[in-house]
Amino acid sequence: MAEQSGNVVLSLEDVHTYYGSIHALKGVSLEVREGEIVTLIGANGAGKSTTLRSINGLNHPREGAIRFQGREITKDPAHAIVKSGIAQSPEGRRLFPRMSVLENLEMGAFQREDRTTFKEDVDRVFELFPRLAERRNQKAGTMSGGEQQMCAIGRALMARPKLLLLDEPSMGLAPIFVEKIFEIVREINAQGTPILLVEQNALMALDAASRGYVLETGRIALEGPAKDLRENEQVRKTYLGEG
Amino acid sequence: MPASVIGALGSAFVLLLLIWVIGNFSQDPSEFLNVFLIGLTNGAVYGLIALGYTLVYGILQLINFAHGDVFALGGLVASTMILSVFDLTTTSGAGIVIVAVAATLAVAMLFSSMLNTAIELVAYRRLRNAPRLAPLITAVGMSFILQNVGLIGWGVNFTSVPRLIPNSVAFSLGSVDFQWNKLAVLLLTFPVLLGLTYLVRATRQGKAMRATSQDPEAAAMMGVNVNRTISFTFMLAGGLAGAAGVLYLLNFTTIRYDQGFQLGLIAFTAAVLGGIGNLTGALVGALTIGLIEAFNEGLTWYTPGSDWTRSIVFSLLIAILVFRPEGLLGERTPEGQ
Ligand SMILES: Nc1ncnc2c1ncn2[C@@H]1O[C@H](COP(=O)(O)OP(=O)(O)OP(=O)(O)O)[C@@H](O)[C@H]1O
Ligand SMILES: [Mg+2]
Repeated sequence: MAEQSGNVVLSLEDVHTYYGSIHALKGVSLEVREGEIVTLIGANGAGKSTTLRSINGLNHPREGAIRFQGREITKDPAHAIVKSGIAQSPEGRRLFPRMSVLENLEMGAFQREDRTTFKEDVDRVFELFPRLAERRNQKAGTMSGGEQQMCAIGRALMARPKLLLLDEPSMGLAPIFVEKIFEIVREINAQGTPILLVEQNALMALDAASRGYVLETGRIALEGPAKDLRENEQVRKTYLGEG
Repeated sequence: MPASVIGALGSAFVLLLLIWVIGNFSQDPSEFLNVFLIGLTNGAVYGLIALGYTLVYGILQLINFAHGDVFALGGLVASTMILSVFDLTTTSGAGIVIVAVAATLAVAMLFSSMLNTAIELVAYRRLRNAPRLAPLITAVGMSFILQNVGLIGWGVNFTSVPRLIPNSVAFSLGSVDFQWNKLAVLLLTFPVLLGLTYLVRATRQGKAMRATSQDPEAAAMMGVNVNRTISFTFMLAGGLAGAAGVLYLLNFTTIRYDQGFQLGLIAFTAAVLGGIGNLTGALVGALTIGLIEAFNEGLTWYTPGSDWTRSIVFSLLIAILVFRPEGLLGERTPEGQ
């Protein structure tokens, strides 16, 4: 587990994001530090995906600031944000359905200037997900949900990100796959990549994370070390389905 | 109708067609091959235009109805280059003609690519998240605007240029005559097509285009500059239309402000025939239409004749839309597009 005192990699300060006139994020502040897995949990529609879309430049906040490695990226276009080192496996996976697994992985490395390590990185992804190696020439759109999820995570890794955003990586997967995905999330983190993890599966997420935030209708309702949140009565009742 | 009946009817139709083609061939082989060459040449010009429809459709799912008019304006600009800038006549020396034609081609392609990029920027970009009908209507409006620009700039009559590339015979293979003007079209078109295929299949820009066409948001998440990729696509499509304008002008020696409508419609049909969004498909569709036209107008044995050309081409389009809506080479995509 990572130490609390690492440098801040990503910070959101009082971020307000809208869809037209719908006020989806009403002042979200959070941070991710070097070495951490930070989880963002909350009910459907709380604004978890919107938070990630604010960070990655697909929905620019109207107010507030987002900083990455000390630099403000609030209004940067999405393609520039990837280039500065933030990659993601988005909600719904968003693979390129008519490209093969290998081509999808290639797209993951699209913005990288050095192409020499491409092969090495593909091998690393195949090592993490041997199933992808078997399916390398299959069209991504024809793979099973679990395989697509692996491909989406692998594609994000191909960017050699300095911060990884994962939106519900366990969505729709069989329990055995869920275990496996979380194992891999931990492994990626152990190899040095900080992760911001959005999850419905609060139990698994809080187990894997060092810190967590609970989002309720566009606001941060609770935050703290993951193990404190696990003990928190409100969290246990609402998100862990206990007592 | 059950699939087996359709299949049988389809096979019977193809068989009849084959008999008809072979019949015509045996009537007069050399005439047949000459007609075939005409079809190939016209098809190649249609193909250059059809690729523009298919490129833009592939990336924005938009039928750019103004595309035919970009072709026509490209041709009109080329006519000005030939008549006013270079002041060419049929007696101009071959060296001068080659240089002037190359320069005309470059200017017309540049003009059309910039025009097409500007159209996207001004008219379509803001409507990217609007309901599909909005950009479609805008495209129709844009088409009228461009036609009127052509009308104001070049007038209501045909603009004629001298026949710069002679229609005399360059060489003969057996009894098939290869004329200079047809040869020039084929020699210019096929390298362009090969280059385009390479660009889309193998280059970084091509990857960006394919990714954007499949999921623009996901492409942005990979670091693709989506706006720039779309601009590039319009630029490319416009450049091809400009080249088609020049080749058309050189081959037929006249052009008029409203010809983009007709040619555009044929090229659009070709793109749909081959499977809209599919590059090879656009080319196959265009060559098919070029050949149908040429056969129908040039052959004699049981041939309906030129009055029927349009009816045949569009009946084919309807048949394709009914029985194989994804086109000859289009694939049924997982998203069901
Ligand atoms: N494209 C959109 N247009 C309008 N409103 C949207 C759009 N996307 C999301 N919203 C709204 O913004 C709010 C936050 O949505 P968001 O997708 O961030 O929720 P979430 O926490 O990720 O939920 P889930 O767990 O279901 O994925 C919701 O009320 C949702 O209805
Ligand atoms: Mg979500």
